[in-house]
Amino acid sequence: MKRRIPLAIVFIFGVLGAIPFLVPHRIIQDADNEFRNSVLRIIVAFSLVLGVGSIIRHHYEKIRRKRENWQYSYVTLISLVITAIIGLFGGIEANGILPTRFLVPFTKYTFHFDIQTLYTNIMVPLGATMFSLLAFFMTSAAYRAFRARNIEATILLFSAFVVMLAAVPLVSRVFPKLSFFSEWILTVPNTAAKRGLGFGIALGSMATSLKIILGIERGWLGGTQ
Amino acid sequence: MKFFEKLMKIDRRIIYLILALVVIIPFLRPFLIHPRAMPPVENLYNHIDSIPQDKALVISVDYTPDTEPELQPMTIALLRHAFARRVKVGVLCLGVLGLGLAENALTQVANEFNRRATTQADSIIYGRDYVFWGWQTPALTVILGMGERISKVFSVDYYGNKTETLPMMQKIKNYNNVGIIVSVSASATPLWYITYAQTSFGVKVGIASTAVQAADMYPYLNSGQATGLLSGMKGGAEYEELVQTRLGITGRRRATEAMAAQTSAHFTIIAFIIIGNIGFFVLRRRKK
Repeated sequence: MKRRIPLAIVFIFGVLGAIPFLVPHRIIQDADNEFRNSVLRIIVAFSLVLGVGSIIRHHYEKIRRKRENWQYSYVTLISLVITAIIGLFGGIEANGILPTRFLVPFTKYTFHFDIQTLYTNIMVPLGATMFSLLAFFMTSAAYRAFRARNIEATILLFSAFVVMLAAVPLVSRVFPKLSFFSEWILTVPNTAAKRGLGFGIALGSMATSLKIILGIERGWLGGTQ
Repeated sequence: MKFFEKLMKIDRRIIYLILALVVIIPFLRPFLIHPRAMPPVENLYNHIDSIPQDKALVISVDYTPDTEPELQPMTIALLRHAFARRVKVGVLCLGVLGLGLAENALTQVANEFNRRATTQADSIIYGRDYVFWGWQTPALTVILGMGERISKVFSVDYYGNKTETLPMMQKIKNYNNVGIIVSVSASATPLWYITYAQTSFGVKVGIASTAVQAADMYPYLNSGQATGLLSGMKGGAEYEELVQTRLGITGRRRATEAMAAQTSAHFTIIAFIIIGNIGFFVLRRRKK
């Protein structure tokens, strides 16, 4: 029973999910609208509860067992609580019931900690910093890995040079044809390769989806088949 | 021999230091390099330029703070273009982390226009000229639902106003009233718009993506499913150039400013690759 019910749910909703794309009849389309606009949203709302519960449990356990770097879990949990309180009660830009804007005594300045200020001054720089580290790793990796060892590697290297140089406006100004050659590389050989990959991935996804819907592939149920 | 061996084994900390310097110095002493717009950028610009008064530009802010430096200038340039042409704008997010970025972009560009405005008609007014619908989930529900009725998907906007009560929304009901959706994204979300919104409702889709992601978008550009493509920082800089030169809209051009750092970084990477290959070839020849 523990296996049959999930398998039946997957089969029913898998088939129901595909039918509206094939049958344009009003009844089918209305049912699909209802399913998407109501049922799906409720399911997603549950995932939020699941997500918050999961992160709290994970970090609580980490602190309790004093696992490696457990101190950082306090940062996560405290940030989660503070952000949630400010977000829920402070409004977007200090327009909620929780005051998130104070006049600094003896000055004309105000101190803000509304959700938009926190987001702009904490989330944005942190995110950008993490992503910008990629530039360093990419440079180091390109220096070590890009070697013209054989003809294929040489073609790859040449293409990379053209695309990188074309992304520099100064070079594009001096050698206008280089930009068009770079566009050609992206438009023709790149597209040919991407389409081939795309077909392969699409066929693979269809096959896997069918196997899951029909209950042939049961790995997602967990445990042994 | 040792010299060429060293060429192949430069310490990574030296590479990091040099790259940091070549990226930081151009920001301290900026020099503007004006890019020339490539056809995919110009196509998107021309399409937005020709959106009729009764249709809207929809911008889907589908990126997160990590790609903000690369993608936010594109959103800002698109907004400047639309506001300058008096094209109505609807903004939404498929991911919750895009909300703050969209809010920042809208506030900045609306303020830029309102500072120059002398009359109410010149001003950019929320609800009349643009609406920030906010975020809804899941993405499939949003993309397909907007084809039927936008106000059903976003019953209230980001600020809690009832969407149907906003003046702009009296004319913008669904994809029939949308000139183009531009998905500004660091992931595959533009392809979701192509797969679901375009296939089911025939709406035009434009793509603004990170340079890393752009290669994945070219097949859709070739097939005509994507109306235009802004690719990476350079794509943003090209769009900024078009908006400034053709419409005379001035303002900070963050993508164009970053071109100097990108230029020096690209040259540095190319130099390191060449240095590595010189060492490789010399040592290989000597081994033979």
